[in-house]
Amino acid sequence: MINYDVLLKDLAPKKFSKRGMTWVIFLVIIIVAGIIAYIDQLRQGQVVTNMRDYVLWGIYISNFVFFVATSFVGSVAVAILRLTKNPWRTPFVRIAEIITVAAIVMAGITIVIDMARPDRLLNLFIHARLQSPITWDVIIIPTYMVISMLLLYFPLIPDFAILKKHFEKTKPKWSKWYGKLSLKWTGSAAQKAIHAKSIAIISIMIIPVGLLLQTIDAWLFSTTYRVGWDSTNFAPYFISGAFVAGIGSLVVVIYVVRKAKKLEAYITDFHFDKLGKLLVLACLIYLYFNINEYVIPLFNSKKADSEHLKTLFSGDYSIPFWIVTIGGLVIPILVLLFKKGRKPFPMLIAGIMVVIGAWWKRYIIVTPTLMHPFLPIQGVPESWHSYFPSLHEWLITSATLAMALLIITLLVRYLPIIPIQRTMDEQEMFKTENIAEL
Amino acid sequence: MKKLGTFHIVFLLFLGNFLAPGGFTDLYAQDAKKNSVRLKADYVKIMGGEIYVNIRATSKIDNQNIDVPNLEINVYNEYEDEEIPLGKTITDSRGKSKFVIGGLQAIKPDSTNTYNLGVSFEGNNDFKRASGSVSFKNADIKAELITKDSVNYIAATLSDTFADSLLAEKSLVIQVQRLFSPLKIGEEFNFTDENGAILVAIEDGIPGIDGNLNIEVVLDDSDDYGTVKAIVNAPIGKPIVEESSFDQRTLWSPRNKTPFFILLFTGGLIFGTWGVIIYLFTNLVRLTKS
Repeated sequence: MINYDVLLKDLAPKKFSKRGMTWVIFLVIIIVAGIIAYIDQLRQGQVVTNMRDYVLWGIYISNFVFFVATSFVGSVAVAILRLTKNPWRTPFVRIAEIITVAAIVMAGITIVIDMARPDRLLNLFIHARLQSPITWDVIIIPTYMVISMLLLYFPLIPDFAILKKHFEKTKPKWSKWYGKLSLKWTGSAAQKAIHAKSIAIISIMIIPVGLLLQTIDAWLFSTTYRVGWDSTNFAPYFISGAFVAGIGSLVVVIYVVRKAKKLEAYITDFHFDKLGKLLVLACLIYLYFNINEYVIPLFNSKKADSEHLKTLFSGDYSIPFWIVTIGGLVIPILVLLFKKGRKPFPMLIAGIMVVIGAWWKRYIIVTPTLMHPFLPIQGVPESWHSYFPSLHEWLITSATLAMALLIITLLVRYLPIIPIQRTMDEQEMFKTENIAEL
Repeated sequence: MKKLGTFHIVFLLFLGNFLAPGGFTDLYAQDAKKNSVRLKADYVKIMGGEIYVNIRATSKIDNQNIDVPNLEINVYNEYEDEEIPLGKTITDSRGKSKFVIGGLQAIKPDSTNTYNLGVSFEGNNDFKRASGSVSFKNADIKAELITKDSVNYIAATLSDTFADSLLAEKSLVIQVQRLFSPLKIGEEFNFTDENGAILVAIEDGIPGIDGNLNIEVVLDDSDDYGTVKAIVNAPIGKPIVEESSFDQRTLWSPRNKTPFFILLFTGGLIFGTWGVIIYLFTNLVRLTKS
């Protein structure tokens, strides 16, 4: 049992350590390099990328789909576990909310980066056609972004009130800010009722909205008649993939935050074990959809689809395909199926493999299909026959990933990373139950 | 001394290589020989419309006739050993160019009332200079739609403008304008009679937009008169009933024709979700006040 002062001391935001500062500087350098590359892309146009007439969705769209997938963690880890009243979610629920916000914000930014003329962004709204999945995407992303922010903010309100009081003497400036963010929270019965009701509404709402987001993302591809995309399996396939990417990211971030903030007493092996089970479940479901997506067409696909599958299984994209499938899915499943594999460090390794696999998986979904157009590629420069991202694309994409990590880092720095009020309530409840038993 | 003589011979041979045509210079790809260009010019007159010259530039390279794009062609009027410039034009990607003459009054005929136009190319790094010409007399076609005994006919008369004479025994083509290639009607050869006239029946049921047919009477590529064409608008066709979904509410229609079910379903989702979001924002305000 941890007393109130120790709890507050452990969970209240603290200054960056030297390592933390180095990490932030490292991220800022990558971001600055990416911004310079992006300015050059704006100046010269998308000719600086290696996207041409055939591969017109390249690494930017792959990265966008990865961010969208990762943002699904908010729906899964937070909302579903909250609604099913799983108490073990408490220590990592806020980290999941932070990842969700960072990922969906970066998804929105990435799609603007992919636009050759971002100054025409408003045209997406002005000339929107409600029949177009692109329009649905334009609508759903800001919607999910707002809901994710509300999902992060509402549970934080009581904690802000606690931090206001905590920093009143030691850091009055911080106390003032936390006070403003706490919206004059006193913990009155009326406030608690509104608060609980609002969180319940968000938890319910984010699940269908999250499912819609992943589905629309899948429909962007599957409504195009292209080989490899034209699949009725695509929406559930994307949802299960997002489930994997989201939980995988959560595992990695939790491990790092736990280590950096010394939260071993709060995020224990028990929590990793539970998360490991959730991740292996996600991976198994995703494996099932992968079999549906890639194995069944071996028996019934037409010529163009067979060519596409050949490219993935034994052709130009076979190495990344098998690395992603085996390294990013099969091996993590084998590791996580065993109890020893669900200890923190093996979980970290499995999580990293899953996240890297999830990123490259999007690349494999986007690019090979574009190399199989309806008509043969001919009468164009040789360089248009293949695609590999240019230096500009790598720099910009790295910067977006660094930006997502920077958002997570800064939020982890300034927010109580484990819900203080909720942890206190749970301990109080635990104490009351024990007394009642006595 | 003997050695010096050998040196002289070698030196002269070496120098000779530079002076003689086709020496070492053949080794340089940049100096590959120029290709010849063939220029072909055809005169076209549309009655009541444009008068122009169709120019085509081709070149025989590796035993294949290739269209030559981006050639600057000078067009001029040949008159009494004089070349009066009319203008310039550039061939397109298919090696073709259309040079519009303002009107026949802008050019001068010779003593036989024949107009002589020349086209020339000055040459460039890849192609040699080239020229071509076209000669023609001025002819007119007067065409009209007439109806006799409920049968529609195209009546046309061909005449030489300068000689003020009707042209007999000339073959005219009757055709209906179509998007890709014209639809020929009537006999294969419609020769003009001693009055320079033809009368061709138009069969019923030829489809046209709103029932309108643009019927062309063409003197095609005549040696003396070039191509002369008269166009008659005849509202005697069968109106085309367009089976198009253009004005319907479909998935591929413009935004103002969005299908109702999408408007309702998507609109419902958007307003429903944002309604709840707005409610949650009001809850934030209520939290502050309670």
